Amino acid sequence: MKITVERSGGIAALTRVWTVQAVTTSEKSRWQPLVEACPWDAVDDPRQAPDGQPDRFMYSIRAGQRRATLPETAVTGPWRVLVESTRTAAEESRPGGGEAGFRR
Amino acid sequence: MVCSIVPPYILRRLAAQGSPRFSAVARAAREALLHVGAVHAARTSAPTAPAGIRQLQPSPVNRSVFDAKSGESLPGQVVRKEGDAATGDPAVDEAYDGLGHTHSLYADAFGRNSIDGLGMPLKATVHFGRMYDNAFWDGQQMVFGDGDGEVFERFTRSLSVIGHELAHGVTQFSAGLAYRNQAGAINESVSDVFGALVEQYFRKQTTAEASWLIGEGLFTPQVEGSALRSMKAPGTAYDDDVLGKDPQPDSMDSYVRTRSDNGGVHINSGIPNRAFCLVAQTLGGNAWDAPGQIWYETLTGGSLSPATTFTAFAKATAATAKELFGEESAEHDAVRGAWETVKVKL
Repeated sequence: MKITVERSGGIAALTRVWTVQAVTTSEKSRWQPLVEACPWDAVDDPRQAPDGQPDRFMYSIRAGQRRATLPETAVTGPWRVLVESTRTAAEESRPGGGEAGFRR
Repeated sequence: MVCSIVPPYILRRLAAQGSPRFSAVARAAREALLHVGAVHAARTSAPTAPAGIRQLQPSPVNRSVFDAKSGESLPGQVVRKEGDAATGDPAVDEAYDGLGHTHSLYADAFGRNSIDGLGMPLKATVHFGRMYDNAFWDGQQMVFGDGDGEVFERFTRSLSVIGHELAHGVTQFSAGLAYRNQAGAINESVSDVFGALVEQYFRKQTTAEASWLIGEGLFTPQVEGSALRSMKAPGTAYDDDVLGKDPQPDSMDSYVRTRSDNGGVHINSGIPNRAFCLVAQTLGGNAWDAPGQIWYETLTGGSLSPATTFTAFAKATAATAKELFGEESAEHDAVRGAWETVKVKL
């Protein structure tokens, strides 16, 4: 399972991307609960949502076939755990970690 | 209907006087025209939108700076109040000074009493989050991150960024521009305009002397870039192996259609940014004078709708320039010429 967190917006308007690949059984057992804990079906379509605060970040999160786009202020609880775990793992670049960079 | 002892058409003729002998009366007439326009806007706008009224005497700034201590609870612990001595914490003291410089521009150049026009106290929280690469206005206060130390320094380092974020507050309390698509790009551009003016006014820089960069000094030395954005030359602020290239267009020829970034609000803002810079360069002198007056009056005068498009905004700036300076004025010509250069049709 591939997990990607894309953070766009902010005053600098730079898009950062963090990616992890859960391939082995132990990796999947680590990441699956974090993914399952998130309320994927409860996320509003950001195109319909009211305008967010200016210069705040927007997060686009993908895990396998699931996708969600959330304003920064909604990245709380299990979303926060998934995002922070993905960022940490990607930046540490451990085996089973992933990639971290900017979308050019 | 506009009610004024001196009819607007006489005020306009006086405002258009270019001779140094009549500089005082010309300035007084332009101030009067702004006041007349604001009163008219207040009468025709909803009762809850009083920000168009220019107060004759803005009250002194009232600042408070808070420390979030790397957490995300706002406002955090108060660490510096109005009149307190510098703390020695650069983020705290830069935020304190930046709030003051922003208040000064609006009071001195535009007669505006703080962000809401009603003397709103200015609050800022620093040390927000951990390695937080951003600054924002949350509807009530400023919030600054410390940056990650690899790409970004602390966000209080840039006076134009401080001015940019506070200008979102001015927009909130005046035109209420939406934050998506072209209206959002205008919203972003207006913040860049007044952010740049805060910096130029503080540094006493003329249009020719100014860098016209937004966020200068935020990137670490590792980054191949001078700033987040360039108003004079959109698309040239940075070109880095890791970050990529500044994506801003400088005219409608390269307008970006995208769903990301709320429809490209930080991207397409390059077009109206360049238009403002061109107006300032054409007229010379200080950008907070005629160009700033035109943009400020357009933003706060009540003529913009929240879903304003580039064309509607351009037309509004031209109408403001005509109202303030006359149809045959250099100012009106400069505004029309600038929009023509960036290929926004009037």
